[in-house]
Amino acid sequence: MVKKKRSQQENSTTVIVDDDELSAAPEEDEAYTDLSNKLAEIRKDKDVIGYILRSATSATIDLKEPEKIVEYAIFSSQVLDSSREIADLYELDDVKSVLVEGKETKALCMDINGNKISIFMEKTADHADILKRISP
Amino acid sequence: MNNEVYSFALKSTLQEIQNICPDVSNTFIFQDEKILAQDETTPEKTINQTIDAFTAITEKADIIGGMNNLTIQGTNGRANIACINNFYLATISSKEADEKYVNTLTRILIPTVIRLLEKIHPALPGDETLTPVYHEPIEPEPVEDEVAEDAADQTEDQQEEESDQFVEETATTKDEEEQFEPEIDTEPLLPEPPVTQLIVENIGGLLVASDTVRIDNEVIIQWNELYGDKKINEVTIETLSGKTTRCKFKQIKKSKDTGKGIIKMPEKIQLTLETSEGALVTVKPVIE
Repeated sequence: MVKKKRSQQENSTTVIVDDDELSAAPEEDEAYTDLSNKLAEIRKDKDVIGYILRSATSATIDLKEPEKIVEYAIFSSQVLDSSREIADLYELDDVKSVLVEGKETKALCMDINGNKISIFMEKTADHADILKRISP
Repeated sequence: MNNEVYSFALKSTLQEIQNICPDVSNTFIFQDEKILAQDETTPEKTINQTIDAFTAITEKADIIGGMNNLTIQGTNGRANIACINNFYLATISSKEADEKYVNTLTRILIPTVIRLLEKIHPALPGDETLTPVYHEPIEPEPVEDEVAEDAADQTEDQQEEESDQFVEETATTKDEEEQFEPEIDTEPLLPEPPVTQLIVENIGGLLVASDTVRIDNEVIIQWNELYGDKKINEVTIETLSGKTTRCKFKQIKKSKDTGKGIIKMPEKIQLTLETSEGALVTVKPVIE
């Protein structure tokens, strides 16, 4: 069963996949909640356009353009998958972060303990500072 | 200049980057999913897999306004793919590498080489893949940087070894290269056509060609001195309002009109340019 609820911010949508098989361990839940709180704080920065946080059981999406959620989600997923491939090719080991700079905006993607995060921001945003704030 | 020379120049540059910065383990350049130049250490299969993975992101990057730069920070190193002058430059470096230094180096050196190549031959290869085929040994360009010079010294021995290889490989592609030879003979760079400001004066009469202007002989002599054997048959005239036209020209016949900075212009050309007697125009020779 999939439930949707509004949380934290007006545009933020939390999707909880409520399934016994997918139920997360308490420590995983804790990590997810911690990241979710950090992201909500980062989202307040004026240069931050939004974010996607996804774990095996839940997803929180907060974007300025909710109508483009699917495009943002597909892009995030592709960035993490392709980065993993490239990292494997050159033996970079674990991917700590991925920065994708576009002509208009940029995205910072990472995987923290199985929680996949993508933060979208203006090109002027300080991504290094955001990375510090989100890193464990 | 042909694709091979481009490829060779870019390949040498990549090699220099790795020589200067040993923390850079792999470098290659690609465009439209085709490899333009690669270092000697990265297998082609790996490069193609990288390009595929990168393209998969690019295809979905409309949401961020298209792809400019990708940086993957791993525990053991970093991969960067940056868009430079319509090319993509991939640089893989170890975790010890100084990111700023590597970025500064690659983002100055590669565009400089590309600019030099464009100056030597303005038409960059578009459709054909640049095959990294070795050519006859070419002395490394004294690329603006002192750093490049130092690195060239360090790699002299290595290049000598490579030279032997080049000769061997060149022999196999001799016929192919002969075809390209005329292209490699680059013509001397022509100077920019000088722009001369002249004042319009009417010219008319039965025997006056309506498609030909008359210009001071001194100006024509200057052009001839500048371009030597190049034949100049036409000029481009531009008005202050931006209207332009191209027409034939002859020298002013009457000695009383010479040295006055005028251009004798038939009415038809004046109409085309929407100009009239007394107006200022700029004139430059058309070099074919």
